[in-house]
Parts: sequence; C-alpha cells; structure tokens
Amino acid sequence: MNKKYGVYICEGCGIGESLNIEKLSEVAEDEGYAVKTCPALCGKAGVELLQKEVAGGVNTLVLAACSPRVLYDTFRFDGCIVERVNLREQVVWSHPRATWPAPTEAQKDDETFIDHVQMMASDYLMMALAKVKKIDLPTAFKLETLCRKILVIGGGITGISAALDAAKAGYEVTIAEKEPALGGNAAKWRKQLPTEYPYEKSMAPVIQAKIKELGSFPNIQVKTATVVARIAGQPGDFTVTFKKPGEKIEFDVPFPLPPEMKVDESGKELESEKLHARYLEYNQGRQDILTFDPNGEKFGAVVLAAGWRPYQPQENEYAHLGFGITPDVVTNAQFEQIAAAGKIKRPSDGKEAKSVVFIQSPGQGGDQDFPYAGSVTSLVALKQAKYVREDYADGKAYIIYQHMRTPGLTENFYKAVQQDPGVFLTKGQVTQVAPNGAGLIVNADDTLLGQPIQIKADIVVLATGMVPATKDDPVINLAYRQGPGFRDNALFNDYADSNYICFPSETQRTGIYAAGAIRRSLSTEESMEDATGAALKAIQCLESVNRGVSVHPRSGDLTFPDFFFQRCTQCKRCTQECPFGALDDDERGTPKTNPTRCRRCGTCMGACPERIINFANYSIDSISSMVKAIKVPSTDDFDEPPLRVLGLICENDAYPALDIAALNRLSWNADVRFVPVRCLGSVNVIWIKDALSKGMDGVFLMGCKHGDDYQCHFVKGSELADIRVRKIGEALSSLALEPERVAQFQVAIDEYDKIPQMVQGFVGTIEGLGPNPFKGF
Amino acid sequence: MAERILVEPDLKFIKDLGILGGDDLKKCYQCATCSVACPISPDNKPFPRKEMIASSWGLKDKVVKSADPWLCHNCGDCSTRCPRKAKPADVLAAIRAQAIVEYSRPRWLAEAVNDPKKLPILIAIPVALFLVVGSITGLLNFKPDLSGGIAHYKFFSTWLVDMHMVPAMLFAVTVLALGLKRFVGDIHQNALAEGKTDQQTIEVAGFVQAVIRVIPTILTHKKFSECTENKDRYIAHFLTFWSFVGLFIVTSVIFLVLYGSYLLPTGPLHGPWAQINPIKWLANISGIALIVGTGMMIKSRLNKPDQKSAYKDWFLIGIAFGLGLTGMLTELTRIAGWAPVTFAMYFLHLICIFFLIAYLPFTKLAHLAYRTAAMVYSEYAGRKFVK
Repeated sequence: MNKKYGVYICEGCGIGESLNIEKLSEVAEDEGYAVKTCPALCGKAGVELLQKEVAGGVNTLVLAACSPRVLYDTFRFDGCIVERVNLREQVVWSHPRATWPAPTEAQKDDETFIDHVQMMASDYLMMALAKVKKIDLPTAFKLETLCRKILVIGGGITGISAALDAAKAGYEVTIAEKEPALGGNAAKWRKQLPTEYPYEKSMAPVIQAKIKELGSFPNIQVKTATVVARIAGQPGDFTVTFKKPGEKIEFDVPFPLPPEMKVDESGKELESEKLHARYLEYNQGRQDILTFDPNGEKFGAVVLAAGWRPYQPQENEYAHLGFGITPDVVTNAQFEQIAAAGKIKRPSDGKEAKSVVFIQSPGQGGDQDFPYAGSVTSLVALKQAKYVREDYADGKAYIIYQHMRTPGLTENFYKAVQQDPGVFLTKGQVTQVAPNGAGLIVNADDTLLGQPIQIKADIVVLATGMVPATKDDPVINLAYRQGPGFRDNALFNDYADSNYICFPSETQRTGIYAAGAIRRSLSTEESMEDATGAALKAIQCLESVNRGVSVHPRSGDLTFPDFFFQRCTQCKRCTQECPFGALDDDERGTPKTNPTRCRRCGTCMGACPERIINFANYSIDSISSMVKAIKVPSTDDFDEPPLRVLGLICENDAYPALDIAALNRLSWNADVRFVPVRCLGSVNVIWIKDALSKGMDGVFLMGCKHGDDYQCHFVKGSELADIRVRKIGEALSSLALEPERVAQFQVAIDEYDKIPQMVQGFVGTIEGLGPNPFKGF
Repeated sequence: MAERILVEPDLKFIKDLGILGGDDLKKCYQCATCSVACPISPDNKPFPRKEMIASSWGLKDKVVKSADPWLCHNCGDCSTRCPRKAKPADVLAAIRAQAIVEYSRPRWLAEAVNDPKKLPILIAIPVALFLVVGSITGLLNFKPDLSGGIAHYKFFSTWLVDMHMVPAMLFAVTVLALGLKRFVGDIHQNALAEGKTDQQTIEVAGFVQAVIRVIPTILTHKKFSECTENKDRYIAHFLTFWSFVGLFIVTSVIFLVLYGSYLLPTGPLHGPWAQINPIKWLANISGIALIVGTGMMIKSRLNKPDQKSAYKDWFLIGIAFGLGLTGMLTELTRIAGWAPVTFAMYFLHLICIFFLIAYLPFTKLAHLAYRTAAMVYSEYAGRKFVK
C-alpha cells in the first residue's frame, strides 16, 4: 500500500482550550506530515474536510481527537488506515489545567518550563505517527472450500431444537445421536415443566412433537447410534469421522500424554523425542491429528448438545438419607421412572406411595444442594410433588429445601403447586432418613415450623443434579494438538462452559458451540432457548468465516496472525499457549495455522520468542515503534526531568475503563503513556525491554482479572501475561534493574474509579526507586 | 429446644379453612411481613407467620387449640401488606371459625351454621317451633283483639316467647360453658408445649384477677384502636358491641318488670312502653346503633378487596342487622298502626332473636366467649397481651 498521510487535529470538546494546537501541529509538521486543524472534526465541516482529503488521495489518516471507542462510524473510511489519537479522554479531560498549568505568557518561551499536558499530547501524536508507518490494511483470509453444514452432537431436546432452528434459517444440519433413538432424557418423563404462559401446569413432554417436526425438514439428516470419533480441521472446513458407539477405529482421536507419562522414573521431564515416541505408543493404532480422514464428512460448525446423565450417588455418600440402604430412597431421576411407569408405588413392596418427601439438600451442616443441581432441580421437585397429588386424592408431598429456585416466570409454577393443599413446603435441614416399619421416617431440623419435625414417608426423593456428558468423555473429540476436549471445565463445576456471563454458547474452541444441559443444569424450556443461541452462534461463525473475519469476541476483525516460518525454532510455545487451540504442530514442532479457529487475540504473538508472529495492523514492530516514539526527557532537557512510565492497556476492559474515568473527570499521573493492546496475552516482553532500554522508568500492564473467576476475553491472556511479567522480573534483576519496575494490574470495566490510585501507586513506587539508570544512554 | 413433632397434615382441615374464608392460605411463602406488620406479634414467636405455615401444613391442633388466633382483632394490617395476597387476617378468622366448630356440641349444628345449604333448616326450626307450640298452646293468636291499641303480646304471647328463648339461652350457655372448659384446657396445654407460659396450672384466683384486668380493654375496644388499616371497624364494632349491651339491659329490665308485675294486684305490665321511659330511650338508641354499626360492617366488607367475607361472616352480620332492622320496623309499623305488618315484623324479629341466642355458640358471635377467654388466659399466662 502506497501510503499518503494526513494528520487532522480536532479543537473541540476542550482540546483547543487546553492545548497549544499550533505547537502540536508543529510536532507532526516537523516530521514532514501535512497537518490540518478543525474546530470540531466530527461536525459537518470536519467530516466534509476528511472526505475531501480521502477523495484527494489521502489513505492514512491520523485523527487527533477523541477516543477510538466513540464515533467510529463517523471516522470510518473504507480502504484507509485510520488511527485515532485519544487527546480528549486520555489527555485533556483527565488532566485539567488547574492541576497541570499551561505556561503563562512569560513562560511561553521558557525552555525550563515543563508543560506536562502538552508533552503528553505530542507524545501520543508521535506514537500514532510511528504506528501508521508500520501497519498495513489487512486482507481477509478465505478458505479454499467452505462447508456451511452444521453438525449437532446430541439428539435430545437441545440438539433437536438447535437443528430445527438452524434448518429454519436455511442451513443443512446433521444430528448425531449416540442412542439408537432420538429424544434423550426428555423422552423418559411422565410430564415436563411448562414452556408456555401462564407457566402453571406441567405438561406432556414436547419432545415427541419436536422429533416429528424434524421429518418436515429435508435439510436435516439424523444419524442415530452414532458418535463422533474425531473432528479435524477448522471452522468452515471441519472433517468429521463418525463411528458406532464403542467401536475402535484408526480415526479415533489421539489423546495427549497424561502428565505422569511425560516424566521418567525419577520425575524428570522427558526430552522431546522421547516424549514423541511415548505419545505414538500411547496412541498406537490411531492416526495423527494432521492426517485427515479421506472418508470424513465435511462440516462448517458444530453445536454440542450432548446433554446430561442423572447424578448417581456413590455408595454411602448419602447414608444418612438412607440412599443405598433402603430401595425406597431414590433419586429424582429414579422417581421420574417410577412415575412414568404408572401410579407411584413404593419400590420395596409395590404399595401405593401416598406420602413422599422430596429432599433438596443433603444437609449435614451446610446448606449446599446436591451436586449438579440448580433451579431445575427445585422445579422438578415441584413437578414430581404434583404426581403424588394426581395419583392419590389423599396423597401428601413434602418438599424440604435449603433453596427453592424458581427464576422468572417459573415462579408461577411454584405458586400454582404451592396452592395445592396436599403439597407442603419448608426450608429445613434433613438430618436423617430411617426405616419405620415398612416405610420411612424423615427427621428435619431448622424448619419454618419452628421446631424439629418428623414425617412418615413411603418414598424419599433426593434432588440430585444433572451431570454433563463432557464430565465423562470429551464427546467432541477434536483432533487438536491441545487435546480432544475443552480445557478448564473444572472451573465451571465440570460444565462445558466458557465464560457464561459474557459469552454464552461460546466454548474455548471456535466453531464449537455448547447448548443445553452440557452448559448448566437446565429445564426443557431453557434448553430449547439455549439451543437457539448456539444455533445462531454456529451460523454467525459460518458467515464470519465466509467473509474471512474473526467470529468473536473481535467480531469482524479481518486480520489474522502471519507467521514468518523461516525463523521458527519449533519451540511450540504458540501451540501450547493459544487459549483456543488454534495451532497444531507437526512432529518437528512447526506450527500449523488454522486461521478460522483463531480469535485474533495475539497471544501467540506475545509468546513467540523469535517475534515472527504479527498481524497486518498489530505487530511487534508497530508497538515497539510506538514505545520508541515516546520522548523520554533526561537531565539534558531539564534539571529535574519528569519520569516516563509505559502502560500497556488491554483494549477490552482496561482501555474503556480509562475512558470512563476520564469522562468522570478523574485524573491520573501525567508521566504515564498508554499503549492499547488487543489482550495482555499479546504483550511481547520485547516491548518492555524496549521501554526500559530507552530509559523509561517503569512499565505496567493493565488488563482483565485472571484466576478461577477470570474475566479475560481471551480466557488465558492476562494469566499468561502475569507469568511472563514475573519471568521478566528475574531478567531485570540480572541487569541490576529492580523487578518492581514492571507490574501488572487487574481491573474490571466497572472499576474505573480505582485506576487513578493504581497508576499513582505504581508511579509512587518508581519515584521511590529513582530514575532508570539507563536513561540517556 | 422445642421437641420434635410428628407432622401429619390434616387435608380436610386445610379444605375447611378454605371454605371458611382462608382459601388463600397456601399462597404464603413465609416472608414474615405479616409478623412485622402485626401490632400484637411478640418478639419471640412470629405471629401470624407461624399460624400461616402450621395451617398450610394442616397442623390443626397447633392453631385451633391455641389462644393466639383469638388475640387477633382482624385489623387487616397483615393482609394489606402481604406480598402474596395470602390474607393472613382471613386465615386467622377461618381458624377461629374452625375452633368454634371444634369446641361446640352438637357438632352437626355447628357444621350446619357454616353451611349455606342448611340455612332453610335453621330457619325452619324456630318457625316450626313457634307455629306448632303456639297453635297447641293457643299462645299465638292471629286474630287478636286490638281494641286497646296494637300490642304484640296479644299476637305472640310473652309466654310463648320465653318458652323458647329461655331454654335457648340455657342451651347456649351450657354449650358455651362446656366448649370453654375444653378450650381453656387446650390452650393451656398448647402454651405449655410451646413455652408461652411459665404457669403450670390454672389457678382460679389469678384467673379471676386476669378477667378483671381484661374487661376494661374489651369495653373500651382498646385493641381495635391499634389498627391502622381498618380503623373504621373500630366504630362499627364499638357501636354493635354497645348496642348489644344496651339491648341486653333493656331486655333484662323488661323481663324482670314483666314477670315481677305478675305479683302486682293490677296484673302484668305489658308493652309497649311509653316513649318517654328511659328504658325506651335506651332501647331505641341501641336499636339504631345496631343498625348503624352492622350497616357499617356490611359496607366495609363490600368495599374491601383484600378482605374475604365468607358465609360465616355474612351469617352473623345478617342476623345482627336483621335483628336491628326488624326491631325498629316492628316499633315503627306499630306506631303507624299497620297491625298485620307489625305482627309479621315481630315474628321475623323473634326468629332473629332465636337465631342469635340458640345458634350463638356455633356462629361467629361465640367469639365473645372464646376471645374473652383467650385474652384472659393470655393475660393470666403472662403473654402481656394488655399493654
């Protein structure tokens, strides 16, 4: 691209009042750029000016105005590089002249006067100019062949709903169900929870109608008694091998070595060649992940709706509740079977069961519910209580709960069941279930009745939860180097979730969308809704891949990581650290890119010690150049030169938080310069080294929270950055630099008010350490 | 720590409470807003929240054999504030009605009083008695000699009246006394079991002292004045209460004068009494107060959407309002000189009186005995009901 540059400085929103625009213009003009100023760049005149410039051939625009997070449509010029210099939020609003005074008439030509705000503005302008020189317009990555078929794993209520939704939107769908018949758990019930207003009565299961509906869609293919042996490739171009359950085939996915096999007898890590040999041995008879099944079926995206199995308590796990001791203590799933078979009878002797106690929490001190429980287990207890009342006019159903969760309109169901004179509800702690003649006696403490109670019961039902299929098996069997399943499910109580608040349906694998009880214990209605979400996500994926753009969370991003393989040392770090398993490596360790799996976070770029991974508009060099463009004053310039601190700011939460802080007129230290990064995971330590060797006094990273309740948009980025920053601390020590000069902060977007103290605290630490001894070299 | 109880819900009890106006009972989700709103809820026993769950669990003995529901004066603060519209005030009223049924004998009569289908039978009893006994004895004269002006005793002899009313009253008093005896025993047991009292036995002297302490509260309707939501009920109930007191005094005086005057040489003194007689003033004032008081009750019940009015409520208000109305109309039509009309009114009036007296232990009116007993007991037992 033959760049023709133009620099445009806006004087609106207080910029003109605070800054010396003439001096700022000179900064760019001295570098040889044409500069134009405008009272309000976003106004009619301003936009017309920019349009005229673009029409006149300018294709690289540096707009020194407001935050890139606002007015992006106004300042969008297709085919042009547009770089925004955030003067308004990061300079003017956050650094009032009352605190950092402008030079008086007398001081104007005083060389010793330090105008912090003006220096900051000119630094940011210089950084932008340095950046635009180093970046290019991206070109889209297009697959050679794109397959738009959607694979739905699981033929229960969720899978069928997802298939129907995708089929209605015009997509071809294949359902793979491991059982010989469709329907899953939803087909085994007497009744199901309501799905329609007024949500008061349980109803005949909708599953059969849904199965029937499948027949009217010629674009849905159903494979029963079928499981996925492996899914190879990438979104838009998956190659799927199916097999019969239990079969052993060559295209069964290979598994990574378990940790204990990666070490020798003395516990030392094995060499890579030995490791590879062991890996091959471990997966003998299975084709490598990079070998594609020539008979495999092509799919573009996958909806994982593999569902759940009822939790089966361990032997003696609930001995105090009589489970496993008497057959009359059953799980809710077992009770449903009894109810589906006819009138409710006592399992031990077949006597009519007219008194049934539903226990929602195992008790024994805590108030936690049974494992894998949720609102659905509360609702199921209500539903099953009604079975007792339907079967017997003098039947009595008791529900003893610690939590009665009936969210949204399901509250109506609770109210309706509660209204039945023979249903008795109380919060309470069940202490014991013991045999009582032919029946049972239930003891409960801390009840709403104000005293410990005893209830005679024919059957006791434990509200055990729904175990996701991925707990037992990866199910998706991805032929990915990082392994066949999702990582970190333990963080989500074994559910196949990603980050359920921000990104429902999305998993840690692009193109694979989880729905239904695989994600959380869900009711039929919730599962159907969840299925719609996953189906839409799968479609979004296909249509993004089709246009060569990133799916999420950087939806629409045209860039993708470009590897300069000649210099690759096969260290495998990129393959191992990619949070999304986007890279596979061959036996020598050379990474194989799968651009449509990629989410463009740049974690590979941050990981690469050879710095051979770059994006068209975001590269090691572009950020390094920005860092180097920051003017670091020394004793040559001033008697007491101000400090310079670099802040590498995550674009997802930290950068908007800074804008919000500025909007609220919060201030932070004027010696700090911010560089936005895609994710802290993309921060390459070379940038920190660049800053420190240039004489900057400290560097901090500001990004999302990491750990068990991480908020990183790219799952692992801030965590990896934390590890890298700790490692760089060791390297700094060897250079006689204090490790405290580099730090990392975690912020959530709503913690904008804490940012000034964070920055001030860090600058305070640096002030304590004194200036960087390398300054001026 | 209270003892572990075996819970055996009584489904019929829950259904009966529903019929008696407590059909929103099951809506309660135990948030205890009612206990916060209730002016008489003690600090250590959330009232009426406990009553709500006990009755929704069908634990009849816990609520029916307890004094607490009787301490409620149905001010309605709980029902107004209940987020679930479970109407605790109506549930407590239903519990009280159920307690009346429980403690009165014969049981079938108690159930008949609460059953609208049995109303014709209840009416037929006094009508048949009056007609049959009146015809046999000749004390009912459809063609009386009215030459000395209209006098009701000539149509319906006072002997015939008292031949019914005196036994009816004795019957009522006996039924109430027996009921009260069991009731007080039960509420004492309940109070012991739930730790509401430290008195092990009921000691007569202390109990009588408690009666004396409680009476001013009843006479002044002090508890009613604590209500915020249903302040108008204070006036209505106050008027009705005092009209009954007035009418009781009037009836007693007339009764004594009438039967006393048989000893006079001039013979018995029959009504009507002169309008200038203070007793007549009291009678008229009480009669009007009764109509106004019960009229206000009718109006307020019709206007209150968050208060249920069950058959039992209309039954008693109907009798009381009918009593006042027929009484005043009897007088007015007599003055107007419309003999057949005034006799008919008198006949209806007597039916109302019979209803009031004979059915008293079975209707809501029995609250005058049970509530008083409960209040006295609570005072005695140290619940510090009277502040």
